[in-house]
Amino acid sequence: MKYVKGLKCRECAREYPVEPIYVCEFCFGPLEAVYDYAKIKKALSRRTIERRPKTLWRYKELLPIDGEPQVGLNSGYTPLVEAKNLARYLGVKELYIKDDTVAHPTLSFKDRVVAVALTKAKEFGFDTAACASTGNLAHAVSAHGAKAGFKRFIFIPATLEQSKIVASIVYEPNLVAVDGNYDDVNRLCSEIANKYRWAFVNINIRPFYAEGSKTIGFEIVEQLGWKAPDSIVVPCASGSLLTKVWKALKEFKELGILKELETKIYGAQATGCSPISTAFKQGTDVIRPVKPNTIAKSLAIGNPADGFYALQAVKESGGAMEDVSDDEIVEAIKLLSKTEGIFAETAGGVTLACYIKLLKEGKIDKKDCTVLCITGNGLKTAEVLNGKTAEVYHIKPNLASFEEALKRINDKGR
Amino acid sequence: MGEIKKLRVRLTFPQELIKEPVLFRMAKKYDVMPNIRRARVTDTFGEMILELEGLEENLQQGIDSLRQQGVVVELIEGDIIE
Repeated sequence: MKYVKGLKCRECAREYPVEPIYVCEFCFGPLEAVYDYAKIKKALSRRTIERRPKTLWRYKELLPIDGEPQVGLNSGYTPLVEAKNLARYLGVKELYIKDDTVAHPTLSFKDRVVAVALTKAKEFGFDTAACASTGNLAHAVSAHGAKAGFKRFIFIPATLEQSKIVASIVYEPNLVAVDGNYDDVNRLCSEIANKYRWAFVNINIRPFYAEGSKTIGFEIVEQLGWKAPDSIVVPCASGSLLTKVWKALKEFKELGILKELETKIYGAQATGCSPISTAFKQGTDVIRPVKPNTIAKSLAIGNPADGFYALQAVKESGGAMEDVSDDEIVEAIKLLSKTEGIFAETAGGVTLACYIKLLKEGKIDKKDCTVLCITGNGLKTAEVLNGKTAEVYHIKPNLASFEEALKRINDKGR
Repeated sequence: MGEIKKLRVRLTFPQELIKEPVLFRMAKKYDVMPNIRRARVTDTFGEMILELEGLEENLQQGIDSLRQQGVVVELIEGDIIE
């Protein structure tokens, strides 16, 4: 059953058929999937969703595929954790963590988008999946692509550290290290995407890939008992995730699945790469590109493709943007770990630290029901905590030495 | 002779360059053909989405010269995603 009517340019509204294309031929604006909501309304209800397996595919009518799901059959439906300890610490009433640190199979929300992208790639008849990525996206394409039987090409700058390569190369994709900087790799990839008939998930499959992010929004609503929270804090790199979470809420409202929608969307960035937050604070809708300089590498996109649309979503919902320093990011990672037992990557630190800042500024109410989108696992960026964690107690292998340490521990009240 | 190539780029002009014919000069000097698709100019900022067509080495030199003058040149395809 088809529910996607076609693709549409977000700038000039020109329409295109469902094909592996990603920019408007006329204005070079980005293309987006357009759905037949009247038809979806007849097929999808709370009850139909509730009867389905607990994966992201339980919302399949609202995802841009024509047939049945083929990739990532265990992805999505991550826990929505009520963060009571953290809420008490911060003095807020109701706080939840949308916990994609445990996303299947590669521990970040990219497992969602790649599941959708590669299912669509199968429908288009591609046998090769590719991406330009140095982290989470590379891991997700490598793993999902292995399971789904794709030939895989992952492009990285040759200067990338060995530690970042392992989590991709273990799935044995063709990992291509390009002599050059990020710009050079990008340019090469767009040329390759034009010449070879491959599914580049973040280039020619992008309109389909991006839709996978909506499932975070759908799940939040369902897991809260079919209601939308007062506020959601979303980390921003390209800005795509934020726009899609907002789109998800609006789609549920349009379909009548959600009765009320008064949610405010807040965007979180690292100060060292905050083009969207800067534009918001300056009151302009022009996103000025920046050179990233932050430990939050998974958010370090200096020229965010969806920055303008993310800004629109934030404003439309009545939310705000905020950004935080690298030190605040590290402190927030540690706070989330020690209060909720959730170890997030740097992007998660950005989200929590921005939430704390927004609370202090009074932009998010302490009485709000708030959801923080924690999008990736801390084990992926553990090196940022080197020398910044709590003390390790080294002792001799005897009781006296242990009791000496225990005294120090007790003195600290731990 | 190199190959004729097309590049889709986004140019961001700082305030001090908005009034300058930066693109025209570059196009003329390096024999690059610009085909503008979208543009937006405010009092503090200029942005242009366009296609550049020319010999590969000329395109590179033209883009380098824009960057040297302070124009931010980005491919439409966007960034590598971490």
